[in-house]
Amino acid sequence: MRAKIIVAVAGVALALAAVPVVAHHAFSAEFDADAPIHLEGTVVKMEWINPHAWVHLELEDGTVWMVEGGTPNTLLRRGFSKNSLLPGTEIIVDGYQAKDGSNKGNGRDLTFKDGSKLFMGSSGTGAPRDGRDQTEPE
Amino acid sequence: MSHVRVFGLLMALGLMSLGSVAVVAQDVIPDNTDVRRTAWGDPNVQGIWDFRTITPFERPDELAGKDVLTAEEAAEYEQRTLALRNKDRRTEDGLSAAADVASAYNQFWWDYGDKLTEDRRTSLVVDPSNGKMPELTAVARTRSAVRRAARRRDAHWTVDRGVAERCILGFNAGPPMNPSAYNNNVQIFQAPGYVVLLNEMVHDSRIVRLDGDHLPQNIRQWRGDSRGYWQGDTLVVETTNFTDKTSFRGSGPTMVLRERFTRVSGGTLLYEYTIDDPVSFARPWSVAVPMTETDQPLFEYACHEGNYGMLNLMEGARAVDAKKAPR
Repeated sequence: MRAKIIVAVAGVALALAAVPVVAHHAFSAEFDADAPIHLEGTVVKMEWINPHAWVHLELEDGTVWMVEGGTPNTLLRRGFSKNSLLPGTEIIVDGYQAKDGSNKGNGRDLTFKDGSKLFMGSSGTGAPRDGRDQTEPE
Repeated sequence: MSHVRVFGLLMALGLMSLGSVAVVAQDVIPDNTDVRRTAWGDPNVQGIWDFRTITPFERPDELAGKDVLTAEEAAEYEQRTLALRNKDRRTEDGLSAAADVASAYNQFWWDYGDKLTEDRRTSLVVDPSNGKMPELTAVARTRSAVRRAARRRDAHWTVDRGVAERCILGFNAGPPMNPSAYNNNVQIFQAPGYVVLLNEMVHDSRIVRLDGDHLPQNIRQWRGDSRGYWQGDTLVVETTNFTDKTSFRGSGPTMVLRERFTRVSGGTLLYEYTIDDPVSFARPWSVAVPMTETDQPLFEYACHEGNYGMLNLMEGARAVDAKKAPR
């Protein structure tokens, strides 16, 4: 009986994974699944705006890209702020380029150079700030 | 409690520093009085309400006939669901490139909740009892197909896209309201004769009059026209006069939406609604979405001003058209 329940739940979860979230059909219309990008650069600006935040980064060759993120409201709720990703921070962006071929992409995966993801600090838990996560709120 | 003492309470709580929280002066809920009534005696459904949940809208086929999970099943379901929905899963985890693009961005941006509803139901739909929406009529199916076709192709213009992408209405605000990807918050205010529902997305105030008739049928509104009344401690809101520019899972301008708001104990607002739209659905159907009171503020969701995405979407569509154009 127990095994049957677990299988049923697993089946449900698999079915759920296939359910598209309403929000982001727009991304499929904006960005090109056949044009993956990998950018390494320095943040020059972050726009904490809705409906989507935008991170602007300058690559080594001087070109500036802008990459689309999610709603900053979620980050604010987790204790981050406009000071959490300041210009000068080195980041890596994996994503997909805009369909019009411009220097825009979706920030599908935003990480620091050490591979750790942005905005993963332990906001509000009282854990000590060890300085490794530059976006960890104070 | 006098207004002066209420103000003092606000200051002590530091609520005045939360700029985005606008509190109607006379209706702050002090600790030591009956929280269930406003100052003028109406039931009190005010507060900032969080409606996140990972309970699926419709009962999954695998759980047919099972309307509630046990605590153990629920814990396992939550764990598996969160693992599979995690947006940091990418092509190396089995996603296609197309699915990867549609996943949009890292898990840290998402805020859809991590729990089933407390009653561990297997669907938000409560009627029909199989937890699934009724069938769409032929009229509704045709209408939906036209909408879907517009979304799938490269957009001719912004009107081909959904109202949420156009920053007109939030995708969880409806009406009716439903849990979604993030910003699943609504703030409810009351004044004598009125209830206001302020949805975080898209900073939208739905004003419910507690008297009077609906607008004439020839006047249509994006969020319909809401009129409410009290039934015991429950606020009943009937909304009609929808346009043909919005659709809730296949509904049309003929929809009559009846919502019910009841504050139950423990900081929960029971939100239920019934869709009555015989032109679009084989029968009326109902959904229940419990909401939890939060002490977090609503954050601004200025949308149109920052909607670079829509610009990019149009530019992308034109670029695709240019590639297809005959030389």
